[in-house]
Amino acid sequence: MTPAIAVSGISKRFGEHRAVNNVSIEVPEGSIYGFIGPNGSGKTTTIRMIMNILVPDAGQIHVLGRPTASGVRDEVGYLPEERGLYKKMTVRRVLRYYGQLKGKPASEIDTATRDWLARLQLTDWADKKVEQLSKGMAQKVQFIAAVVSTPKLLILDEPFSGLDPVNAEALKDAVLEMRRRGTTIVFSTHDMHTAERMCERIFMIFKGNKVLDGTLDEIQAEYGYDTARVRTAGGASLLAGMPSVESINDHGNYQDVKLNGDPQAFLHQLVQKTTVQHFEVRRPSLHDIFVRIAQPSEEDLKAGEGGAL
Amino acid sequence: MNRTMTIAQSEFITLVKTKAFIIGILFMPVLMGAFFAFMAYAERQVDVERRVFAVIDHTGSLFGAVREAAERRNAEFVEDDGSRSGPEFVATAIDPAGQSMDDLKATLSQRVRDKELFAFVEIPANAITATSAEVSPIRYYAESTSYEPLPNWLRGALNDEITLRRYDDAGIDHALIEQLNTRTPLSTFGLMERAADGTVNEAQEVDELARMAMPLFFLILMFMSVMTAGQHLLNAIIEEKMSKISEVMLGSVTPFQLLAGKLLGVVGVSLLLTSIYMVGGAYLVFASGRFDLLNIGLIFWFLLFLVCAALLFGSIFLALGSACSDLKDAQSMLQPAMVLIMLAYLGSFVVIRNPESSVAVGMSFFPTMTPFAMMLRIAMPPGPPLWQILVGVGGLVATTIFCVWAGSRIFRVGILMQGKAPTLPELVKWIGK
Repeated sequence: MTPAIAVSGISKRFGEHRAVNNVSIEVPEGSIYGFIGPNGSGKTTTIRMIMNILVPDAGQIHVLGRPTASGVRDEVGYLPEERGLYKKMTVRRVLRYYGQLKGKPASEIDTATRDWLARLQLTDWADKKVEQLSKGMAQKVQFIAAVVSTPKLLILDEPFSGLDPVNAEALKDAVLEMRRRGTTIVFSTHDMHTAERMCERIFMIFKGNKVLDGTLDEIQAEYGYDTARVRTAGGASLLAGMPSVESINDHGNYQDVKLNGDPQAFLHQLVQKTTVQHFEVRRPSLHDIFVRIAQPSEEDLKAGEGGAL
Repeated sequence: MNRTMTIAQSEFITLVKTKAFIIGILFMPVLMGAFFAFMAYAERQVDVERRVFAVIDHTGSLFGAVREAAERRNAEFVEDDGSRSGPEFVATAIDPAGQSMDDLKATLSQRVRDKELFAFVEIPANAITATSAEVSPIRYYAESTSYEPLPNWLRGALNDEITLRRYDDAGIDHALIEQLNTRTPLSTFGLMERAADGTVNEAQEVDELARMAMPLFFLILMFMSVMTAGQHLLNAIIEEKMSKISEVMLGSVTPFQLLAGKLLGVVGVSLLLTSIYMVGGAYLVFASGRFDLLNIGLIFWFLLFLVCAALLFGSIFLALGSACSDLKDAQSMLQPAMVLIMLAYLGSFVVIRNPESSVAVGMSFFPTMTPFAMMLRIAMPPGPPLWQILVGVGGLVATTIFCVWAGSRIFRVGILMQGKAPTLPELVKWIGK
């Protein structure tokens, strides 16, 4: 089967800055593919190149089996990270306009519009001007704008950022609905939990280079069972400085501890120091892997949490 | 092409629906009409004031003539129904004998301030006898020095009388002088034409209004279209950038399609605007029966130049707009483009004065001025030779294509750009990217 997206060896420079460096990805048809990476690591640049908004300096991109510069974009729905709607247009008109730009006949768009507005509880707002919508509603309309042309491939750049839990859940269901209809979905996110839950395959880019690519299982397998999730009476302060502890990710009520020795020996030491309430040897979470690779600054972490579900 | 038309259509509808378009464009004729109506009304509200002025006559012999002339004049402004259609000038004599001039004039000034008098005038003693070397002015004193009808009339009336006295003193019959001085008028005609059957067609008397009405109408129309289109494009593109619509659009269409669609939409609006005005103009022509004002051939050239001007300036505005992140940046970026338009517009008046001068010819070859200058030259007989028109149009079309192309290059880079606006040299670099 032809992959929905086949990227081979693309690079992009902006002046002296290497935004993307020799990256290859293959997105299988019908899958949900997650793009993760800290801010400024090249996610959006990669997506823009796939959308043919930017032209790569080197490498090739095929989308749905055709070169990306061809008319294939009509089959691709795109929700950019920076997205907007014409404020003075009505919801219905803006959706029809975006649909027509994908070359779809108005009748088809109107049917899809009705369907999606009902699904996302926006039917009453169809003839209101965009400027009257709340932020959450506008974001749902933007999502509809990306899917109203019934694309075969859907690319969403940070689709869930800034949404309240109710709207985020509604949008997540909508994404899964697209998937059930057979659409291939690529989305970028800062939120590792969303990526873990929704994506079949995950791609991570860091400083322009591909650092992870595979199923969650494959990625975690690379790291092995090197983490212990621990809940003790003593808490996080007790763990620091213990032998075989490499790093601690403190979640408050429990800690994920990266070990560089035998977990059983670590448990043994721990029991001697405090009451152990919970002890689980596990593979590192995607979040832990992300942190290990990127060691992001405080700001990045905050930005990531801001976009959490 | 399909996408381009979709964008053009949306742009057209959006622009036509804006309040600015409806108010600024459709109501413009209404506003102009109201303005002229007001002017006409204001003019009919004539000055019928009684204005008394004092005369200090050092010659001792002119006052009587002034009073008679004022009475004759006043009688001319009385309508059949007894109402007045002009101000009434009333002369009153002041005897200067035995008074210091300064005291007298100070007293009179106070009377003017007290509204007893409107003004006073002092006629020098040698007014009639002075040779041209000795002549000293008639002095007119008033509080409202900007009121001109009275001093203008006085100047004329006094000089006429003084001249007559001088003829009399020299023993010359002034009726004879008047006859000898009769001037012969000059009328301007176009050229005679010899028809196919050999008869010679009468030359048309040239009417300044007929010659200039349509070219001026088109000139203002083109200026208005270009300004409206440019402003709209600039605002639209910045709004799209600020509300982050651009990237959504670029996910579906190429920058060139986006730019072309917007330009076409705006050209459509310019044509709509123009047709509204042309229908209005045609109505006026038919209503007034002044078919001599029409110049059908000019309509073709006008439309060609209008489309080129809209594309040329539109692509410049779009390129500049795409490079800016907010309206404030745009205002400063815009100045060079505005200078181009203003030069073209103001330069047009140089062309009107003398369409065959080398400056006018030069301007009609300068691409940003061609639409204005060449159109005017074509409108004014004899008109430029065909080769000049072709060179001008060729240069204009080439420049238009270049601007649309360069504009789309800048647009492609600028549209995804946020933050500080680039400098002009940086913009030029983007073209080559």
